[in-house]
Amino acid sequence: MIKFVLMVNQQGQTRLSRYYEPVELSRRAALEADAVRCCLSRKKDQCSFVEYKDFKLVYRQYAALIIVVGVSDGENELSIYELIHNFVEVLDKHFSRVIMFNLDSIHIILDEMIQNGHIVETNKNRILAPLTAINKMVEG
Amino acid sequence: MSDVVEKTLTALPSLLSLDSQPGSAKLSSNSKLGNLIRGITELTSKHEEEKLIQHELSSIKEQVSSPNTTMRQMRELMVRAVYCEMLGYEASFSYIHAIKLAQQGNVLEKRVGYLAVSLFLNENHELLLLLVNTVLKDLQSTNLIEVCMALTVVCQIFPKDMIPAILPIVEEKLNHPKEIIRRKAVLALHKFYLIAPNQVQHIHNKFRKALCDKDPGVMTASLHIYLQLIQENAEAYKDLTASFVTILKQVVGGKLPMDFNYHSVPAPWLQIQLLRILSLLGKNDQRTSEVMYEVLDESLRRAEMNHNITYAILYECVKCVYTIHPKSELLEKAATCIGNFVLSPKINLKYLGDSTDFSHRGRCDDSTSTNIMT
Repeated sequence: MIKFVLMVNQQGQTRLSRYYEPVELSRRAALEADAVRCCLSRKKDQCSFVEYKDFKLVYRQYAALIIVVGVSDGENELSIYELIHNFVEVLDKHFSRVIMFNLDSIHIILDEMIQNGHIVETNKNRILAPLTAINKMVEG
Repeated sequence: MSDVVEKTLTALPSLLSLDSQPGSAKLSSNSKLGNLIRGITELTSKHEEEKLIQHELSSIKEQVSSPNTTMRQMRELMVRAVYCEMLGYEASFSYIHAIKLAQQGNVLEKRVGYLAVSLFLNENHELLLLLVNTVLKDLQSTNLIEVCMALTVVCQIFPKDMIPAILPIVEEKLNHPKEIIRRKAVLALHKFYLIAPNQVQHIHNKFRKALCDKDPGVMTASLHIYLQLIQENAEAYKDLTASFVTILKQVVGGKLPMDFNYHSVPAPWLQIQLLRILSLLGKNDQRTSEVMYEVLDESLRRAEMNHNITYAILYECVKCVYTIHPKSELLEKAATCIGNFVLSPKINLKYLGDSTDFSHRGRCDDSTSTNIMT
């Protein structure tokens, strides 16, 4: 299962975090900083999967943004690696049509894709349908 | 990666910090968050960050308590509160306002209210009970968007003691004409099963109905429940093996609508999910394994494309082949596949190849062992 999704910048500042199992607020910043440090210190010739504590990190860098997904052992790392890319492609599809940015919109999109740590939707049209419908209703 | 994606990817970091967004001046409702994020980005010390966030939190606290604050403003305040908590600074004064936003806001405000609640609260929080009435109301709304978001929040966070109050309505949604509602209702049942399995014992026949749903999305949603059930007791579900095999055959054979494709590969994560289920069903069971050999062979054959997601499917396929009752031709093909991974210059593939568990080697016949050894 997926334990958490993080989007951080290269300075390690969290831009988005979503947890799928309870982690106390006070522990999150440290966990995020540590996990990101782990990923950022990887060399170019190392793979995108890091064994971290008793689970794994799958990370993928897009320009100055790094997306890190914590997954339990036994998860198909490459499928998560591509899930990250699917997520980015969905964001691309949505934000290329909409000028404004909302932290909430990104969360709403992520919510359509992952629930309870499981991948529940990967069809881009279906992922975006609820948000598009909401925005349409508000504009109209 | 397409050019469009590349362009957005370089734009993404600035999107997220609102640094150089053209037209951002128009977005007064978001510029406060943008200013906040920009402010945080520029700081270099933890101490400065703390000061800025505490100042922000006092400002938010003042505004949420004001009777003059509109729902529109409340929405923006909640997003800022979410941001502050995300950085590790508790904003519990805002929790009740998130619930109010979900109760009183328009469609977008409601959705953000629900989002904030799902981020702020945990399963045992006392305020969660206040959410239940709002959810019940929205589930019965004539506006399908509201029904959807109520189901979404139920999937994320719901007090298990209140499941009996909501279960009949969720069950009713399983028959809804719109696929998205049926799909989210199934996912809500998955959530209920995870937190209180005994509460949904009586409706296992409804899971079967979902599995046979004509919409692939609803069927996929039921697989989450089935994976869980089969992990707990594979024996009880062996009779469904043929169904899962048929579904996988159809997916691999390209029978799904085009928008289920990801880079020309049909529903790859669905294929992986099905392969996991088949693994569990075929383990230590020759008869059940025999039902799946053909589709596994086809999956191994079909995955010729040179894309990460194809390799991910192949990897899952190989794991399945190694887990179930052995068939030498399949084992040979799987071994070749792993051999290719291990030898690949792509470091991610090499990792997968190296991590494949070869403890099954003892079950292969001699010719296959030789393949793996070389």
